[in-house]
Amino acid sequence: MKILKKLRENIFLAIVVFIYVVLLIVRPEMGIASIKSSGYYIKEMLMIMPVIFILTALLDLWIPKEKIMQFLGEDSGIKGIVLSFVLGSISAGPVYAAFPMCIMLKKKGASIRNVVIILSSWAVIKIPMLINEAKFLGPRFMAVRWVLSVIAIIIFSWIANKIVRDEDLPKEEIVEKGLYVNSDACMGCSQCVKCYPELFELKNKKAVGKSHQNPDMRKLRNAIEACPVKAISYKE
Amino acid sequence: MDIFTLAIWVGTLIFLVVSFAKDKGKTKKALKMALGMGKGMVVSILSIIFAIGLILTILPPMEIANFVSKQNVVLATVVAALFGTITLVPAFIAFPLVGTLVGAGVGIVPAVSFLTTLTMVGVVTIPLEKKTFGTKFTVVRNGLSFIFAIVIALVMGVLI
Repeated sequence: MKILKKLRENIFLAIVVFIYVVLLIVRPEMGIASIKSSGYYIKEMLMIMPVIFILTALLDLWIPKEKIMQFLGEDSGIKGIVLSFVLGSISAGPVYAAFPMCIMLKKKGASIRNVVIILSSWAVIKIPMLINEAKFLGPRFMAVRWVLSVIAIIIFSWIANKIVRDEDLPKEEIVEKGLYVNSDACMGCSQCVKCYPELFELKNKKAVGKSHQNPDMRKLRNAIEACPVKAISYKE
Repeated sequence: MDIFTLAIWVGTLIFLVVSFAKDKGKTKKALKMALGMGKGMVVSILSIIFAIGLILTILPPMEIANFVSKQNVVLATVVAALFGTITLVPAFIAFPLVGTLVGAGVGIVPAVSFLTTLTMVGVVTIPLEKKTFGTKFTVVRNGLSFIFAIVIALVMGVLI
């Protein structure tokens, strides 16, 4: 059963491994060529990935997100746009990790325009990535693409704001009492476990809350604030 | 190691030293967070890399370039953008991959539209986005991203 569960969780990896095994039996020379060309990307990844993760974690640590969040409302104007770009381009994690944080911002009054800017810049204009792009595609390519992407995002976030109304977004869900960890958003960074090991644990690389009685609110608040994707909520 | 990678390593290490001098506890936390994020993503990244290796053997970049160059530019750009929407690929794999394609002779315009939708639009993550933001928001955001990916690509073709 356990093996079956692991297989389902890593279904994509399982399929890729399966194709490799078949290929190595049927056409060994093609299988070896595939492994060789994968090797190139693995080498590139190992050179850049550790430093990207460290840099994003450091940016996440030193830029006060909570302060930025106050300036993203309907009337925030240019300041709101600039701050949304900053927030999106320094944040850690893949774009789907941004969804819960953005819906939280929306509830706190951020405009749809600024939410679209955060999501888009989160995807395409990560600051630690710019150097990486310059390396593979040239500094000129990087600079032109960066400027064009910023212009495009400014234009289409304005259009999105015209089309989508606040009523189109899902109504506030009734959150159950107690502790809730959004597992779709959790990246398994284990910050919450470090803050409050009695209450949080990692299961299958995702944080879950253990059963508890009267949690220590100070430690819990620390954990909620430490979460880089704001996936933890608590309702008394 | 080339100059770009070296620069980002040196910059980050300086940042790390300054951060450590200012707040030891917080910096340690950040390092652990980086490690946790890496561990959480490494399996899916490796699967994507091995899948790319497989695809590039079956469809060598030269042949892709050869095929693309025979097509109408606008059509090639739209199709490239469509391929990019299938899944979200982390940027540090997307760049070397697009670098390989451009190096083999694929035109800048289709390459850019592929790169933009590769990181911005993901069919795989649409259900999650729908659950969070509702259908209308999701359709509008992904639709506009797709259209502008093509616009960015075409303008880049004129500028570069």
